[in-house]
Amino acid sequence: MVSDSTPSASIPVASSNPKDFARKKRANRSAKLKQWKLDARREQWLSQVKNKGLKEEVNVRRNQGPATNIGNERDQFIQKLEIKPRGEEDHEVNNDSINHYSDLDLNSNSPISHSSSIMERNDSGANFAGSSSSSISSCSGSGGCCSGSLSEEDDHGDDDDCMDDWEAVADALAATDQKLEQHHPGSDSSRERDENLHLSSRADVSSGITENDTTKKSEHRGLASSHPVSFNAWRPDDAFRPQILPNLSKQFNFPMNSERHCHGGAVWGCKRLSVPTSCPICCEDLDFTDTSFLPCTCGFVLCLFCHKRILEEDGRCPGCRKQYNHEPVEGEATLDGGSLKFQLARSCSMISRS
Amino acid sequence: MVDLARVQKELHECNRDVQVSGINVTLKGDSLTHLIGTIPGPIGTPYEGGTFKIDITLTDGYPFEPPKMKFATKVWHPNISSQSGAICLDILKDQWSPALTLKTALLSIQALLSAPEPDDPQDAVVAQQYLRDHQTFVGTARYWTETFAKTSTLAADEKIQKLVEMGFPEAQVRSTLEATGWDENMALEKLLSS
Repeated sequence: MVSDSTPSASIPVASSNPKDFARKKRANRSAKLKQWKLDARREQWLSQVKNKGLKEEVNVRRNQGPATNIGNERDQFIQKLEIKPRGEEDHEVNNDSINHYSDLDLNSNSPISHSSSIMERNDSGANFAGSSSSSISSCSGSGGCCSGSLSEEDDHGDDDDCMDDWEAVADALAATDQKLEQHHPGSDSSRERDENLHLSSRADVSSGITENDTTKKSEHRGLASSHPVSFNAWRPDDAFRPQILPNLSKQFNFPMNSERHCHGGAVWGCKRLSVPTSCPICCEDLDFTDTSFLPCTCGFVLCLFCHKRILEEDGRCPGCRKQYNHEPVEGEATLDGGSLKFQLARSCSMISRS
Repeated sequence: MVDLARVQKELHECNRDVQVSGINVTLKGDSLTHLIGTIPGPIGTPYEGGTFKIDITLTDGYPFEPPKMKFATKVWHPNISSQSGAICLDILKDQWSPALTLKTALLSIQALLSAPEPDDPQDAVVAQQYLRDHQTFVGTARYWTETFAKTSTLAADEKIQKLVEMGFPEAQVRSTLEATGWDENMALEKLLSS
């Protein structure tokens, strides 16, 4: 009976409303349309819930069967909601986690299980009472107070009002429209919204029980993978921290390392570390030629201008007062040779230029 | 031509840690070539508690030539002329290095105050006294410090008292004396002209 009733119920619906919407949505996924559709669905759901609140009425409608109320969407929803869950109940419970894990976007099954849990509670609901109550309790923050089955259903209606994630809902709805042949339409959207709401409301609180929470958790994984990246800074010991980022601890350690160098490397290391950026004599900035120019074994660095000036006078190193031994001697001894070299160098440079 | 960039940098760096070293260098006038350095008398010496002013003149060859330094404050020291304040210190002569600065030179002078070299004297009389009658030397050096290197409360009070007795208000006397460097005669002239 179930397998027969489902297509018969869903086909007219698909032909009338939701498929048109689906086409429109494919053409233009504007927020207005989505909202409109959602509002319509919500109204359907609310009215259906109100109707369903009375057990007798529901039972009566179910007994009437799908054929009688084809024109009335609302009734179709009710029928499908009430008929389908029963049929799916068995495999729904069994495949629950599997379906939820596989159908993250479509959510064709998870809403059903949800809806079935609520709907079935009226007739055979002991099995799902825990799940529905848990979901309601999680929604109660945005919804209202819960008292009785009717108010609980209203609670879900209120939740729909609070739904912000239209994009997600629209995606879910599109998926639902495509799946209309297989599943009942009306409840899907609302359940979808419930699910999304659970996600948003539960993003921080992770207290899980029952199957609803497993669905949430499975969907959480999708969100959680992006969350730490988006608003968490990397800790220094984080494994996912990019290597390029500067390590403060390393910088902090650097002076110690340099000290060690200083101890081990004796004079050279110390002098190398204290290479000034400006000439200690004239306070002009040292260029690369100056810094790589070491006129004295003591390692005193000075600019070439100051060095030349010192050579013109007493020719002693300002750092250690020792004579710059080779240069002055060389200059005096091979004065002619020096000038010759100079001329050669000049001519070479001219050749290279031309 | 004095290296102005270097002198300015030296002044900046010297005044940055004046609290630690106690050594201060200020401009004497508008020119960067004429400066006044002040050093505190080393603790544990007869010069303790005094503040000694040193007149600094930078030659065109600075920093390749040593700065000309002499004491502006009268000091009783074997290596410092008690008459002219000329300093006998090798780094201010042949042992000068362009790597030295005004601050290091003043620190060397401070070190000279605590470690006189009587064998290479600037003032022969003081050196003689230092070697033969050390007790008297210490006494004289302390007296000179008290007299010339300190604006000691005692000496200041005496001067203020003297001028107040002449009929000037005490606050004005004090400020005028401070402005004239505790020179009694100059302060008196100023007070009379004001």
